[in-house]
Amino acid sequence: MTCAEFQAVLAYIIDNGGNAEQQEHLRQCAVCSGLVSDLKYIAEQAKLLVPMMDPSKKVWDGIKSSLEREGLVKDSARGSLLGSTPLTRWGPANWLLPVAAALLVAVGLLYYQNRTGGQQATLQPSSDNAADASIQAAPLQSASMGDVQDQQVLSEVAAHIPALSQSYRQDLQRVNAYIADARGLVTRNPDDEESRQALMEAYQQKAMLYKMAMRHSLP
Amino acid sequence: MRPEKGELTQAKKTLVPGLTEADAIDRAKQGDSESFEALYGMHKRRVYSLCLRMTGNTAEAEDLTQEAFLQLYRKISTFRGESAFSTWLHRLAVNVVLMHLRKKGLPEVSLEESLEPQEEGPKKDIGARDNMLAGSIDRVNLERAIESLPPGYRIIFVLHDIEGYEHNEIAEIMGCSIGNSKSQLHKARMKLRDLLKTSRTERATRS
Repeated sequence: MTCAEFQAVLAYIIDNGGNAEQQEHLRQCAVCSGLVSDLKYIAEQAKLLVPMMDPSKKVWDGIKSSLEREGLVKDSARGSLLGSTPLTRWGPANWLLPVAAALLVAVGLLYYQNRTGGQQATLQPSSDNAADASIQAAPLQSASMGDVQDQQVLSEVAAHIPALSQSYRQDLQRVNAYIADARGLVTRNPDDEESRQALMEAYQQKAMLYKMAMRHSLP
Repeated sequence: MRPEKGELTQAKKTLVPGLTEADAIDRAKQGDSESFEALYGMHKRRVYSLCLRMTGNTAEAEDLTQEAFLQLYRKISTFRGESAFSTWLHRLAVNVVLMHLRKKGLPEVSLEESLEPQEEGPKKDIGARDNMLAGSIDRVNLERAIESLPPGYRIIFVLHDIEGYEHNEIAEIMGCSIGNSKSQLHKARMKLRDLLKTSRTERATRS
């Protein structure tokens, strides 16, 4: 078998190795074995390529605008589900969620800062009274208080989007388990930064869940 | 005492953040746009990279990424979970890119092309051991070389060697034979080999 004959069929045999004659040629011929090595090396390196870049922000903006134009989601002026959301239509509990979210984050911050030396952890005054009150009250946050808030959130979700009620219940259970785990770690390892970060992250996730529930519960 | 990190694993994996991919898919199917946004966040990089590698053009890749996610929003209710969501989304994105290329009239794969033996035979220096590529490719050079491939070669190479599609899948997507897919892939790799060797020589000359 010549090199030309071998290379003429190489596209079809490179993955399975070819027949005995082709394999023999490959063993004997430095030129063709070098070629096969190169091609396989290129394929191996290509498999290692990972996505490296995010699209620019305008891609998401374009998606959002198109969906709004097509009427698939509400436009921003009416309270977009993809953008900012007015709170005025959430009934008696419309004040609760931002406060609860701020409280959750504040608890996480206080835990974090207390463990890193409370003297540097002075919180800056805020113009948002509700958030200030939440921050002041943060150390008083207890499991039972969290339960009450969770129940209020779940009630709103059940009232407005019953199809997602079970899903939110499960998410809250998961995030509460995460918070409990992270709290346990911080208690046992007060100087471990990773544990403190985990606790912060857990509270942030819960705050995000509250925020999502609020947005989704809009009529 | 170090914390037992395993204690956090379960909860951390299921919330990224706030909900799992499965939760997000279920909610997006019901028109929940916040969950759709979460899915966009999870998959935008891979979809954009796919579009960018297949087109070799940033602006086109962004337009196609946008179109792919718009189609996702419209079609997500048809996702039945028979394959992984990422696989399904990628197939959708590939179809968006191919549709675009067809509209542009770019030849994706020449159906007439077969892999005939080269009349002049192999080049004398082909595969010479002192000129082999092993160990000399870095990511940037490989990405550049892929970008320089002719569109037909580039698409097959991206689908097979980067995205992991099989030849029978590519043949189905591209409407060509399996043999043609193998032939195009081989030519793409041969072309890349030339490009990478040229690039290596130029680098060596400069330094």
